[in-house]
Amino acid sequence: MEENDRQFKIIDRLYLALAILPLVVGMAINVLTSPASDGIEIAGARIFFEIPLPLQPLPITESQVNSWLVMVTIFFLCLYFTHGLTERANTKRQLILEWVVEATDNLVRENMGKYFEGFSPFVAAIMALSAFSSLLSLIGLYPPTSDLNVVAGWAVIVFVLITYYKNKCGFVHYLKSFGDPVPFLAPLNVISEFATPVSMAFRHYGNVLSGSVISVLIASALQGVSSMLLGWLPGFLGQVPFLQIGIPAVLSIYFDVFSGCLQAFIFAMLTMLYISSGFPADDWEKLKLQKQQLKEANN
Amino acid sequence: MPSMEVISVNIWQILISLCNLLILYLIIRKFLYEPVRKMLEQRRAVIDGQYSDADEAKRAALADKAAYEEKLAGAKAEAETIRQNAVAEADKRGEKLLAEAKDKADGIVRRAEAEVELEKQKAKDDIRREIADVSTKLAEKLIEREIDEKDHHELIDSFIDEIGETK
Repeated sequence: MEENDRQFKIIDRLYLALAILPLVVGMAINVLTSPASDGIEIAGARIFFEIPLPLQPLPITESQVNSWLVMVTIFFLCLYFTHGLTERANTKRQLILEWVVEATDNLVRENMGKYFEGFSPFVAAIMALSAFSSLLSLIGLYPPTSDLNVVAGWAVIVFVLITYYKNKCGFVHYLKSFGDPVPFLAPLNVISEFATPVSMAFRHYGNVLSGSVISVLIASALQGVSSMLLGWLPGFLGQVPFLQIGIPAVLSIYFDVFSGCLQAFIFAMLTMLYISSGFPADDWEKLKLQKQQLKEANN
Repeated sequence: MPSMEVISVNIWQILISLCNLLILYLIIRKFLYEPVRKMLEQRRAVIDGQYSDADEAKRAALADKAAYEEKLAGAKAEAETIRQNAVAEADKRGEKLLAEAKDKADGIVRRAEAEVELEKQKAKDDIRREIADVSTKLAEKLIEREIDEKDHHELIDSFIDEIGETK
């Protein structure tokens, strides 16, 4: 029994360590590769190396590496939280885990209806990936969500899912839906169809990126103000940007924590709403009923 | 180290990010939702088992209770019959004792009466003999002659009988 307990604890620690390790690795990479700062700079992700591929070379950048690190972290967090599940729920982590699972289940059920109940892992994956990616900026790493390509990839999946569920009643039904409510609006409907993923991607990416841009701007502005107000101090004291202490941290609570979590939530909500509203539930019910009746008639 | 442009579109990066999300979806489904769902299922099974156990126990308890109540009612009825039997027995015995006592008393009274009758008879005989003697002596003295005692007795007996009849 004691032996088992010790083994359990060791595995526990191992999972936690492996969940934290990617973040440490990310920070190490960041420290090793970050160039000497030369003032204000708003740039995209740093490119580590490029892989030549047809059409376009694939640069492996911070956003890709950080995404993978986040995925590894989430994977080991999953293992950690599901380690030692019991029917009696006697650990804190199990209560947290059950709360998470139940909350996502309820969210999906309320927003998408009973037909889409299996979507909760997908929604949880979107939320976790988005929130964790945005929160990476808390430890000074490049948040992958401020790279348009990352968010665009998610939006493409959402677009594929929307189209798949719109096609549930057959391709003809799908084409007909573009002539709704009046046929001559069809071009606009096509545009709005493609505008959905684009707007989702740009909303998320823009919010996170603007957060970091504002952070950088405010930090540099505070440096300027600080040297202006406190420049009369003797010696090196005049060079220390005192105003940069504290104030950026408060702003970071909004731009990194709040905005990051909010954008993750918004992206997940939009995913759910677009998919469930694209699905012609009533027509599909009718079709199912017709099929059933046909089957009974044949029998 | 070179950097990407702030706004840049790269198909391969989009593809990688798309795959990342799919992989994370599979990870979360396999390692987070499935164990939790399985555990919830097991918990439901355990709870169902406990409920059915409780129902079973309750049914058994109710059955036991009914059986005990039935037994109790039987025992009460039995006690009642035993009591009634005992009362009847006691009554019967009392009556028997009473009757015996009465018989005994009657016997005693009858014997006493018979004795009394006997005594009376004896006394009567005694008195008769006494009177006979006295009268014999009286008559001896009166007539001063000897009479055959036997004849005399017969005479007197008849005389007394006569007296007795007149009485």
